[in-house]
Order: sequence, then C-alpha cells, then structure tokens
Amino acid sequence: MAKKTWKKSATWMAAAAVVTGIVAGCGTSSTNSQGSTSTGAASAVNAHPSVKIAFLMPETNTSPRWEYDDRPDFIAAMKKLDPNAQVIYANAQGSEATQLQQVESAITEGAKLLVVAPVNGFAATTIVTEAAKAHVPVISYDRLIQNAKVDYYVSFNNVEVGKLQGEYIAQHTKKGGTVVMLDGAETDPNAKQFAQGAHEVLDPLFKSGKLKLGYEQYTPNWDSQQALTEMQQALTRLHNHVNAVLAANDNLAGAAIQALEQQHIKGIPVTGQDATDAGLHRIYYDGTQSMTVYKPIYEEADAAAQLAYDVITGKKPPASLVNGTVNNGATNVPSVLLQPIVVTKSNIASTVIKDGFTTWARIKNPAEQQ
Amino acid sequence: MTVNIGQAKQTQTPAARSTSVFDRLIGGEFQQLPVFLSLVLIWIVFEILNNSFLTSRNLSNLVLQMAEYGLLGVGETLILLLGEIDLSIAAVSAIGGAILAVLAGNGVNPYVAIIAGALSGTVLGLFQGFWVTVLRVPSFIVTLAGSLAFLGLLFVLIGQEGTVPIMNNTINAIAGNYLPDWLSWVLVAVALLLMVWTAVRDRAKRHQLGLPPKSAASTWTKLILSAAVMIGATVLLNAYQGVPIAGLVLIVFVVLLAWICQSTGFGRHIYAVGGNAEAARRAGINVKGVRIMVFTLAGTMAAIGGIVGASRLGAASTASGGSDLLMDSIAAAVIGGTSLFGGYGSVWNALLGALVIGSIENGMALLNAPTSTKYLVEGAILLLAVTFDTFTRMRRKQLGR
Repeated sequence: MAKKTWKKSATWMAAAAVVTGIVAGCGTSSTNSQGSTSTGAASAVNAHPSVKIAFLMPETNTSPRWEYDDRPDFIAAMKKLDPNAQVIYANAQGSEATQLQQVESAITEGAKLLVVAPVNGFAATTIVTEAAKAHVPVISYDRLIQNAKVDYYVSFNNVEVGKLQGEYIAQHTKKGGTVVMLDGAETDPNAKQFAQGAHEVLDPLFKSGKLKLGYEQYTPNWDSQQALTEMQQALTRLHNHVNAVLAANDNLAGAAIQALEQQHIKGIPVTGQDATDAGLHRIYYDGTQSMTVYKPIYEEADAAAQLAYDVITGKKPPASLVNGTVNNGATNVPSVLLQPIVVTKSNIASTVIKDGFTTWARIKNPAEQQ
Repeated sequence: MTVNIGQAKQTQTPAARSTSVFDRLIGGEFQQLPVFLSLVLIWIVFEILNNSFLTSRNLSNLVLQMAEYGLLGVGETLILLLGEIDLSIAAVSAIGGAILAVLAGNGVNPYVAIIAGALSGTVLGLFQGFWVTVLRVPSFIVTLAGSLAFLGLLFVLIGQEGTVPIMNNTINAIAGNYLPDWLSWVLVAVALLLMVWTAVRDRAKRHQLGLPPKSAASTWTKLILSAAVMIGATVLLNAYQGVPIAGLVLIVFVVLLAWICQSTGFGRHIYAVGGNAEAARRAGINVKGVRIMVFTLAGTMAAIGGIVGASRLGAASTASGGSDLLMDSIAAAVIGGTSLFGGYGSVWNALLGALVIGSIENGMALLNAPTSTKYLVEGAILLLAVTFDTFTRMRRKQLGR
C-alpha cells in the first residue's frame, strides 16, 4: 500500500513538473509579441508538411476536459482521417487577448482551418475577421462565436441539455411543488443556454401554477462552495419547502445535496450534467441525485475532425453530420448539434460504462485515484 | 487588543479626559468599534429585508459559511502585519483540501489525512517565506507565482474529474457536526474565567511594573461585552443545532493567534518588523526568522481553512481556490482595520471582517439577489468600511493615541 502511494506521489510530481512547464510556456507566449504560441505544434501528427489545422482551446481552470479529452480525441480523429495532417494546438488559459494572438500565429504558421472554442463567445468576433482576411475558415467548437460569419458550429445541443433537465423535473416533481434552480456561471454562454432550455419546459408550468419557482441563482465560476451557500440560503428563505432542485451540472448538484442533507431532506428530484463519477455515485449508490446528462466528448471531437477534413478537402459535409443551424446574431450558422443523453440509475451500464467513459470501480469509489 | 509597541503608557492629558465617549472607545480598548457598528448596521438592514436573517438557523449557516475565509483571513492578517501580502492563500487552501480528500479517498486514516492536509500548507508557506526572505523576491510576485503553480498542482492532485468527493464521516463531521449544548457552555465558562484571570493578572503586572492601571470601567466594559457576545451566540446557536465544530475551530485559532501576537516575544516581533524592519533588525530581532515563520503560519492557516471548506462541501474541487475566496479573505483582514502597510492591526479584526463579508454573502443569497447586485454591494461596503476605519484612525492620531 505504502509503496503504491509512493509511486503515485512520484507520478504526481512528474505531472506537476509538466503542468509547471505548461504554465511557464503560457507565460512566455502571452508576453511575447510575436506570439510563439504554437508550442503545441509538438503534437504535430506527422513530420511531412501537409494540411495544417489549428485546434485552439479556451482554458484549463474550470474544466480539465480541453486538455484531457478534446485535445487527444481531436488529434486521434484527425490522424485517422488523414495521417499526414498537422494539428497546431494551443490553449488560451482564459485570456481573450492570448487567444487572439494564438489565432494570428496559427494563421502565420499556415493553418488552413481553425477549430476554436472561444474564451468569450461574445468577444471573439475579431477571431473570425482575422481568419476571413487570410481566407481561413473557422469552426466554432463547443461554444458559439457570436455576431460573426462563422463557417460551422459543432456542439452538444446545450438548449437540449436544459430541456432534458427541465423535463425530468416536470415529470418527477409533485404537483404544486417548489423548484430551486442553480444555473451555473453567468459568464458562460452555455450556462445561459442550459437555463434557456430548462425555462422553455418549466415556464409554462410555473405560469399555470403546476410548479412554483422558489429560488433561482447563477453561481459565479461554477464554484461549488458558493452554490452550497446559495442552496443553504434558498432552504432558509423557503423554510425548507423545496420539492425539486434543477442543478445545471453534477458539481452544483453535489453542493445542493450537501445542503439538503443538512436539513434531512431526501427523495426529491435533483438533476445534474457531465456524468461525473461523483454524480454517478450519488445516482447509483446514494440515490441522492436523480439524473445526469451525459455528453460523450469524443463524439464532439470526432464531428469537428470530420467537418474540418471535409471543408479542407473541398467536400460538402453530409446532411447527416450538419443537422441544423443556430443563429448567432450575424448569420444562421450551419451546425452539428449532438444529442445529449439522460443517464439515470437504470441506464448507467448501457451508456457511460458501454462507451468506456468510466468504470464501475470508479463510480463505486470516485475518490480513489485509479 | 491591538498591541502597539511603545504605547504602553496611557495618555492622561486633560484633553483626552474631556473627549466624547466615541473618541474614548476608538482611542482605547475598542478599536474595532467602526467595524462592529458596520456589522450591526448590515444585520439590521438584512433583517428588515428578510426576517429569516436573524434566526438561529441562519446564524448557524453564517458561521459555517464564513469559517473558511475567517481562517484564511487570520493568516493573511499576520502577513499584512509584516507589511507583506500573500496572494496564494486561496490556492494553498485548495491544495490542503485536495490532499485531505485524495488521501481519505485512498483509505488513509482520516486524522493522518487532516494532519497531512494542514502540513501541506506549512510546507508551501515555508517555501514561499524562504523565497521572500532569503532570495528577497517581493512577496507579491512570489505568492502570485505560487498561486498559479499551486493551481497547477491542484489539477494534478484532483485529476481530470475536477472533483474528489469526501466520503469519510470523521472528516465530514468538521463542518457537519455540532457541539453538544453542555460542552458549549463548559467552553464558554472556561473562556470567561480565563478572561477574568488575564485581566486580574494584567492589573497585577502593571502594578508591579509601576505602570498606571487601565481604567476599571474599560476593563469591565470589555469583559461584559465579550461575555454578552459569547453567551448570546451560544444561546442562539444552541437554539438551532448547537455550536458548529467549524465555528469552534475558527475561534480556537483566532484566540491562539491573538494570544501569540499579544503575549509572546515572537508576536511583538511581528509588529516590530512590520512597523520598521530596519529598526527591528538593529534592536537585535531575527527579522528573517520572523518573516519565514509568519509565511509558514499563514500557509498552515490557509490549509486548515481549506480542510474546513472541503469538509463543508464534502468534496475537494478544482473550482475552489479561485479569486473570490482570495478576495474575500483579504477583504476580511482589511475590513477589520488591519493596515496594508504593516505594523498595525489585530487577528480579532479578521474575525470581525470575516463576519462582515460572510453576512453580506449570506444575506444577498437569502434575498436571492442577482450576482450584479451582490458584487456592487460587496465592493461598496468594503470601500466604506475601510474609509470609516481610516477616518477613525486619523481621529485617533489627533487624540494622540
């Protein structure tokens, strides 16, 4: 046991060194006016100069997915389609200015297409105009760039995520029950779309009096500590008359459940999203959380790679792939909208387990690092 | 309560005797009066807006909600007393919580996990203190760099899930359990006896040293007020579920550090170094040692805060340790009236400051106020409280205190 722990700490140390390296690298790139941000070019798939695609991600602070999932999944999918393709990877670490610089240097390096998850969807218009000047198409990835002529958009249907959560609440809450909504970070355009979807389903019920909206709050930075405070205060304000909690993701759900347990409130529907191990544990073992919404990230990365490949090779992407449009204020952006999946106790095996997204062992003990 | 080197002698000029009650209070024993008044005002406003605010249940919530940044604020106060700043405390607290959660999740004994979590803060604090003191890099830079690097470390510790749940009952009890009523009363009684004993001993000591005694009135006011606050809080909290263990942890550390600052040589050296490092060095104080020690203490306090926070949430998360926690903790220290330029302030101020910040967050969430309003009000109150404190300090100077 002790030996195992030591081995683990050694792994941590090594990884810490890597992370420090990444942070340091980011530091130089943001101060360097020439923007030598293509440190990620190390991830080039093949040495032969071929088609170059830039994969530009927004941050690492609130979600590790960009580094751990999207990046390897996209590179793998691209390699499958064209073994000679080169992927320039860069992460803006939450800075809009850094991201613009990364876009510019990717174009300078000869990127023929940009796949961008914007730091701020509302402040990324310049990215598209810069790319248009160089005749480089832009695929908006996961977050939609607003008010600009974006070529394509690939994402899970965020409004649909909110709708699925809203529908679950509508079907499982007792008549006349009071709902608390924890919507996530106000600065995240996705959070607004989740809330929009949930409201589309629930607002008619609130209006007709079938359900009551008791409390609704955004949580800055998706910070679960703050969400816990909000839930405690919601319960105080409503004198514990709460019959359902629509939490935008699993972390918020965890915080809400912590507050509910302090007041010994059990058996009410609580939604979530992301199919985290902790969330799945609460669904399967504790029964404190009712559902989570699962978005297989590899599907998103695969779709973006397929789309990028089609655009670069001059093919028209099939209608089975580009299945909708989303208006971003400037145009109707042709979009790949992937369908999120509701996971409850009954279909864990046929979804997240079957996809290899997680394992039963990790769900059983999410705190243990495998 | 605040120790001011070289100010042992109470001025007894005719001008001082004829001043108003307010002047006497802020000039003498109760320098926290401005913050205290702000707090009372905030409570009254929130109680008017929602009558659930001053219930024992909500005050119990408040204690749990403020415990983490109270603990961080106390550590930050020590750093501010030196005239330095620590921007890494939020990140260090997240590390403390993460180490706790990961160890507990891998089946390590919970007490070992708690100690390891706290020690992680000690190590990080020592490291930064060394860098600031021996390598002479400004603390602003060292701790800014630290806050980035520690966040990186946090991601490594927590892994790609972004959250590590804590399923150990012992650990979750820190912020989930309450003291039995009888125990809380025993503790209050012991605390009161200690205070009376200290006051009596202090009087005897002053007599022995030939110093004029402090006025009996001010000693008694202080005692009666403290007793009223302690008994009142205990009655209220016991009316709900009892005194939260996290609240006790906070109080114990505040008292411990206040005692260190007021009554030990090391504590007085902190003030001396913060007031004038060169003078302190010439007086033979080990300035480097004091600095390193203070950074180490602040790191430890941050990690302990992180442990309480993780226990409250029942999880450690990569979203912890963000800028809100850092700002709240520094604000708690500063609202209390601790100077950013060193040498002036008290650990007790941080407790009051944390109460102010905690009350605003608690009240705003209770009112279901939008984030915009919350930030606006918090900013305004921070500015007003510190302005108020600046004015009273100027008044104090005019009074020759």
